Amino acid sequence: MKKGFALLVALLLQVCFAASVLTAENIKLSFMFWGSPAEDQAIRKALKDFEGANPGISVTPLFATYSGAEYDAKMKAMSESDTLPDVGYFGGSFYDYASNNFFLDMTPYIEKEGLKKDYLPQTWLTYKDKIYGAYTAAESQVVYYNKKTLQDAGVALPPTDYKKAWTWDQYVSAWTKLTIDKGGKHPGEAGFDPKKVVRFGVFHETWDQMLFPVVWSNGGDIFSEDGKQILIDTPETIQAIQRLADLRNKNLVMSSPGLTEYNSTSKADPKVLLQNGQIGFYVSGQWELLDFAGMNFPLGIGALPIQKKPAQLYVSGINVIFKKTKNPDAAWKLQKWLMSPDKTLDLYAKGLWMPTKSSWYTNKEDLAKWVNNPAHPAGFKEAVLDSMTISRVAPARIKNYTQIWSEFVNPEMDLIWLGKQSAEVGLKKAAAKVRASGLLQGLW
Amino acid sequence: MSLPQVRTNRHFLPRLFIYLGLLLGTVIYLGPFVWQVRSSLMTLSNIFAYPPILWPEDPQWKNYVDIFSIIPFGTYYFNTIFLVVWNILGTLISNVCIAFALARIPFKGRKTLFALSIGTLMIPSAVTMIPTYIQWSWLGGLNSFWPLIVPSFFGNAFFIFLLVQFFRSIPREYDEAAFVDGAGYPQILLKLIVPMAQPAIAVVVIFTFLNTWNDFMGPLFYLNDNKLFTLALGLKSLLSSYNSYWHLLMAGATLVSLPLILVFFFAQKSFVEGLTAGGIKG
Amino acid sequence: MTFRKDTLWGWLFCLPLALGLTIWVAFPLGVAVVMSLFQWNMISPAKFIGLGNYVFMFFTDHLFWQSLYVMALYTVLSVPLQLIVAFGLALLLNTKAKGMGIFRTIFYLPSLIPVVVSTALWLWMFNPQYGYFNLILDTLGLPTQEWLSSPDMVIPSLVLMSLWSVGNIVIIFLAGLQGIPKELEEATQVDGGNAWHRLRHVILPFMSPVIFYNLVMGVIAGLQVFTQPYIMTNGGPANASLTYVLHLYKQAFQFSKMGYANALALVLLVLTIVLSLVVFKSSDKWVYYEGDKK
Repeated sequence: MKKGFALLVALLLQVCFAASVLTAENIKLSFMFWGSPAEDQAIRKALKDFEGANPGISVTPLFATYSGAEYDAKMKAMSESDTLPDVGYFGGSFYDYASNNFFLDMTPYIEKEGLKKDYLPQTWLTYKDKIYGAYTAAESQVVYYNKKTLQDAGVALPPTDYKKAWTWDQYVSAWTKLTIDKGGKHPGEAGFDPKKVVRFGVFHETWDQMLFPVVWSNGGDIFSEDGKQILIDTPETIQAIQRLADLRNKNLVMSSPGLTEYNSTSKADPKVLLQNGQIGFYVSGQWELLDFAGMNFPLGIGALPIQKKPAQLYVSGINVIFKKTKNPDAAWKLQKWLMSPDKTLDLYAKGLWMPTKSSWYTNKEDLAKWVNNPAHPAGFKEAVLDSMTISRVAPARIKNYTQIWSEFVNPEMDLIWLGKQSAEVGLKKAAAKVRASGLLQGLW
Repeated sequence: MSLPQVRTNRHFLPRLFIYLGLLLGTVIYLGPFVWQVRSSLMTLSNIFAYPPILWPEDPQWKNYVDIFSIIPFGTYYFNTIFLVVWNILGTLISNVCIAFALARIPFKGRKTLFALSIGTLMIPSAVTMIPTYIQWSWLGGLNSFWPLIVPSFFGNAFFIFLLVQFFRSIPREYDEAAFVDGAGYPQILLKLIVPMAQPAIAVVVIFTFLNTWNDFMGPLFYLNDNKLFTLALGLKSLLSSYNSYWHLLMAGATLVSLPLILVFFFAQKSFVEGLTAGGIKG
Repeated sequence: MTFRKDTLWGWLFCLPLALGLTIWVAFPLGVAVVMSLFQWNMISPAKFIGLGNYVFMFFTDHLFWQSLYVMALYTVLSVPLQLIVAFGLALLLNTKAKGMGIFRTIFYLPSLIPVVVSTALWLWMFNPQYGYFNLILDTLGLPTQEWLSSPDMVIPSLVLMSLWSVGNIVIIFLAGLQGIPKELEEATQVDGGNAWHRLRHVILPFMSPVIFYNLVMGVIAGLQVFTQPYIMTNGGPANASLTYVLHLYKQAFQFSKMGYANALALVLLVLTIVLSLVVFKSSDKWVYYEGDKK
């Protein structure tokens, strides 16, 4: 009897111990993100690698097929219902959320591990001196072209040194030479029919972030440093925007607009058009490299056009840990993993991201790890990487930025790109409306 | 001088015009679908070639296979079928019972209930969309199938209207005979009305099938985890702001619409019958 | 059956309806009304502002009036055209010609294609450079159009697209046509009437209840148009395709103005009811029911 009892107790203890070990070890995290199908697969691999290196923690990937405003909205809905993920991408309304206590303060973790100095200074997003978010990566604007198309058309390849790039006008003349209609004529030649164009010289993305380097290069700006003024109607900004609009309506080197919002699927994929030789140049973000890597054609990279001075953009999604997470330590581990280029090399080597860890720009070995591969064509270093030293962060701290841009600026932009109003008229109208709206409230 | 007589009774246009009209209509209505199928058999770069390639020389049948590996298409198929089955169940059970009562049982408040039900057809879904979403979030039903299944068990104004009209057209003598034999309402419903109402019930089943299969907004709102996605939502994931796999999307679209086309083709006779006898005219 | 038993059974069978009306209609409406009096962005606590949302809507929100205009334009253009096209197709299909089953499937096909895909297909067709439509116009020597990229053409383009998915309306018209008693048709044939005569004096009057039904449904649907502008144009260019429900959706989910969105929704409800009543009232003048003698 006693023996039996002791056995039972031992068994019970074993079961309890096993249960506690199992439940203690099996931490479940969820990670929410957006991107292309290729990015989906790359992230999933990174998460699986994380699980492999951290037995006992499992991560459920939550892939959103939409980004931008919808993603924000989904986040809001999830917060309403307490179903927020542990870690995830974040976008526009970062400061709204930070100020409402939605994110975990990462400062203690970062200071304990002394990470701050290892990363580019602009990586950390703070609110009231606490670090609530970290930029997922460093992303920028890039000028892509199809080498074969240019060679066949007898157009010189653009320089790659960002300090010695072609001027805007030099680019326009290259684009003009590339634009050809059914009858073989170029814009400006007698008989050129803009409605029968077989190849356009360029497709330049025109969603908000893609405009900034163009504006900055001409010495203009969108908002003042303190966020209290809107500067889109300054002469320099007007001139820059007009130059972009002219590509379509005056120079005739760019196709008529799809619509301004980035989520538009109305255009044929410019990357495919570039491959087919239906456009000569494509100006977009460096994340396109991930998809270009899977396409077989001679990709070239040129330095961004210089108007008054070189300019470059620093843009990225933000990684955050949500405050309501039940496993802050595990969540931090995941966050750190995603910020470590050596653990998630694929995401960098395949071209999707550029690292936020400083050493990966300066240290020759680390640099080679992610740059020396076919996904990063020649010219990448001088045109893109080096230009990051002069890059400016996209305005994120401006209060009400999304609403200002979407409700007041974009509709005027639509008409500017269509050529129905000049940049001067449109931007002045938009600026006046923004000033009257009371939405300009400075920075967070 | 009247136009040439036609052989069968119901014609009132000469046969030539009819066939011409049908031909034109076919080109217009079938055209985009043909475009979809042709694009599903091409590589991504060829889809945008200009001038457009009318039909690929080497059809990429592998697109139909690839789609299963790029996204969990099989899972989406399964999820969609799951939702369809449950919705059909809920719709049938609730609407048949409700319409039977409204058409056949003289009870207090019947007219009001019926009027209220019809009235809901006028309420734009935008009005109830947000509060319903918030309700579900309180109940913890977000990111699950519950919000997409439960409402079907509570009746649908359109189907109620349809079934009521149909039931009204069944002569009451049958009911009365059954009462004399000692039957109660449940027996009348199950053994009498339901067998006679097959066409109308077929309409309800088919419409429910079509609507649930292609429902986009519901899953968009309520599903986060893409293990739960349905076909309609899963297709959207092939399009993103960054990159779009058009060739796979078209293959997926064909795989998604094929079952619907087959169902409709074989069921259309009973479809029209069910609507006719139901007398929308009423 | 005794009175009480009837009531019992009646309510038992109708329980789902009664509950459904309460949970899915009455309650959300109540919530919508209450929320419309608040300002709430879902992450901070809600703030009571009384009729503030409505004041903003009518006096300050220029997009409110714009979206009303867009919705009205779309409805006025699409509903009559849809009815005419659907009726025409139903007449075509209402024959005993061979292969009718296939033709019916073809005309219903667009309703079976997932909306994500049909919008993509139409986007391509509308593409000013590479699209089908401009290709055809060009071959015929006609000027090409900007379609969705033009503020003036965007609503007509969407209307054109809506004519493609009239499958549901066709089926209902078809059902109605097949319900026309043979005797009536044969009678006019004997009298020496031709096809046009038959159409005007037999078919149309007989079908008027069906037309009425489709008209009401069409108007209600037109007022709510959302998915196509949402996916294809996002309200652009320059808000030329910002339908009412799209405006509502953006306010709710892009700018997080939940209270305001609910106010917009309630105004839409009132509008829908008023318009439906107007159509109902007018029906006395032109809808003939089978039992009536005229």
